[in-house]
Amino acid sequence: MRKAVLAGGLILGLAVGTASLAATPSIVGKAAPDFVLRGLDGRNLRLSEFRGQVVLVNFWSRSDGDSRQQMPALDRINITYQRAGLVVIGVSVDEDLRRSKEFASAMSVSYPILFDTGTEIGKDYYLQKMPMTVLVDRSGVVRYTAVGFRRGDERVYLDHIRELLRE
Amino acid sequence: MNLKHRIVSIAVCAVMLSAGLAIGQTPPPAKGEPAADTPAPPADAQVAPPPPAPDAPPPELKTLDQEVQGLKKDVVDLNKDLFVLQEELLFPANTQVALYVSMDVGTFFALDSVTVKIDNKEVKNYLYTAREADALLKGGVQQIYLGNLKVGKHELVAFFTGKGPVERDYKRGATINFDKGVGAKYLELKITDRVPKHQPEFMIKDWE
Repeated sequence: MRKAVLAGGLILGLAVGTASLAATPSIVGKAAPDFVLRGLDGRNLRLSEFRGQVVLVNFWSRSDGDSRQQMPALDRINITYQRAGLVVIGVSVDEDLRRSKEFASAMSVSYPILFDTGTEIGKDYYLQKMPMTVLVDRSGVVRYTAVGFRRGDERVYLDHIRELLRE
Repeated sequence: MNLKHRIVSIAVCAVMLSAGLAIGQTPPPAKGEPAADTPAPPADAQVAPPPPAPDAPPPELKTLDQEVQGLKKDVVDLNKDLFVLQEELLFPANTQVALYVSMDVGTFFALDSVTVKIDNKEVKNYLYTAREADALLKGGVQQIYLGNLKVGKHELVAFFTGKGPVERDYKRGATINFDKGVGAKYLELKITDRVPKHQPEFMIKDWE
């Protein structure tokens, strides 16, 4: 009897887990939702103005350790591949704008950092966990997304970036 | 069955299979002679067509290109029709309000953002990139808002932020009270330079 209950619970858990995974929406293959945001240098940047280039959009949060690890890796990618037509854009989703700006200044990365204090862009990109990395191809279509960051993930990004740059 | 027999039977099967495949396939016609089931061309068709010009594309490609161009035109026409239909359905003329932004000279003002409030309700907040501001300076006119309002009196307030004279942060507002009639209403937010005062000027023009 106990075994049957355990087995039933396991099946139910698996079913719920699978359902929640299936319910996670994805923007891969769809047009990248456009946004315009103010940058650290005071200039406004619009995503659609980079049509024709491969764009890596990195949503990050100051309070997230993975984001802190990821930014230097993205900086190296930007320095190496910007001449080949890659644009890296960092988007802070922190609500505390002042502290987020301080953090971005301290990181001193070579790519532009934008600040989103609203919620619309997060909804458009289905942001759930930080950091989130989105690769947009030359025609403005999302081709790859990755949530979280572990050391070595940058090699996966590079494989996708090289492929998109060759197109 | 020992190993020797097995090998022999597999070899026989392979030979039979390849022979069957060969029978199933029709041999290609020899060079110069027509295929057996292909009807022979009529005698008057034996005259060879004139050779195409060396740089001209083959006729099939030309036709395909024409078809693609035709399809592109159809898509553009369809898009236009859909746009007009959407405008008519979502923003009928009796309630339509359209708001445009234009900029002249821009020596004393670098536009950063525009916020629009109608009847004290924010309807639009638009951030301008350097490219968009440049386009406005070159004479572009931007439709910043398209919405619906009922007939009657309304108030529109627009806030402009950017860099003013001597690169200082600059924020100014402009207000207009207007009457929305039965026809569509067009309003223009105009940014101009007031040269004698070395200051930018913000106006809202009501296009009757």
